[in-house]
Amino acid sequence: MKKKELIIIAILLLISLGGIALFYCLNATDQPLTVRVSRDGEVIAALPLSQDHSETFSNAAGTNTLVISNRTADITEADCPGQVCVATHSISSPGETIVCLPHKLIVEIITSGN
Amino acid sequence: MPPSQINCGNHHQWQLMNSKSYRLVILSLYVAMALILSYVESFIPLGPPGIKLGLPNIITLISLITLGWPLTILVVVGRVLLSGFMFNPGISIVYSLSGGLLSLLVMGLLLHFFKDSYSLILISIFGAITHNLGQILMAAIVIQNASLIYSTFPFLMLTAIPTGLFIGLVAKELIGLLNKTTIFNRLNS
Repeated sequence: MKKKELIIIAILLLISLGGIALFYCLNATDQPLTVRVSRDGEVIAALPLSQDHSETFSNAAGTNTLVISNRTADITEADCPGQVCVATHSISSPGETIVCLPHKLIVEIITSGN
Repeated sequence: MPPSQINCGNHHQWQLMNSKSYRLVILSLYVAMALILSYVESFIPLGPPGIKLGLPNIITLISLITLGWPLTILVVVGRVLLSGFMFNPGISIVYSLSGGLLSLLVMGLLLHFFKDSYSLILISIFGAITHNLGQILMAAIVIQNASLIYSTFPFLMLTAIPTGLFIGLVAKELIGLLNKTTIFNRLNS
C-alpha cells in the first residue's frame, strides 16, 4: 500500500472514532434514563431503565421481547428472519439503539427529561 | 488492443461474437458471481450483528473498471434483486438497493475523477462506508427516526474501514491477475 492510502485510511479511522467519542460525550448525562420503544415512528412504550421489566411487543409483523434488567435493555427474543435485534448487544447509554428493521421497531435509551 | 491483433491466430467461437454480445456475457457472469458471493458471505459471521464483509463488492469494483458505471448499475441491481428474492426475502431488498446504489454512485464518481491515478483500496473503503450510509438513511426513513443516523453511523463506519480495505486488496489482486488474461480484450473493441 502507498503512503497516501495509509494516511487517508488513518484519517477515516480518526473521523469514525471521533464520531463515536462525540456520540458518547454529547449523550453523557446524570439524569434518569428511559427506554423508549417505537414502531413505525410512533412511541408504543416508555419504561424506566432503573426498573427491571419484561415485555413482549407484537403486531401483525411479528413479536419482539424486550427485557430490562440491571440497568440495561436487551431484546432477547424475536421472530424476524435476520435476528439482528436479538444479536445486538444490550444497551445502557443514552442515544444507544436496538433496531429490528423487519418489524420497523426501534428501542432507544433517552434521558427522562425529553 | 486493435481488432486485427485479436483476430489473428485461432478463431475460437467466442472471438466471432460481436463485442455487444461479449459484454452481455461478461455482465451475466458478474451478476452470477456477485450472487454466489452474497450467498457465501451470509455464512461468514463478523462479530457485530448485521455486519457483512461485502464480498459482492469485489465484483462491483471489477465491473466498474472493466464495464463502466452504466452497466455496473445492472450488475448491482440484478444481484440485489436476485439475492433478495432467493436468500433474504422481504424488505431487506430496499436497504441493500439503497446501500448498493449510493456506494456505486460514490465509487463511480471517485473512479471518474481520479481516472488513471485511482486507488482501488480507497475506492473500496469509501464504497463500504457509503454502502452503510445508504442503508442507514433508508432505515431512518422506514423507521421514521432520524437519530438512528448519528447513533449508528460512526460505529458502522469503523467496521466499514477494515472490511472495505480487505475487499479492496482482494479486488486489486484479482484485477491484476485478470489483466494478464485476454478476457477483457474484446470488451472495448
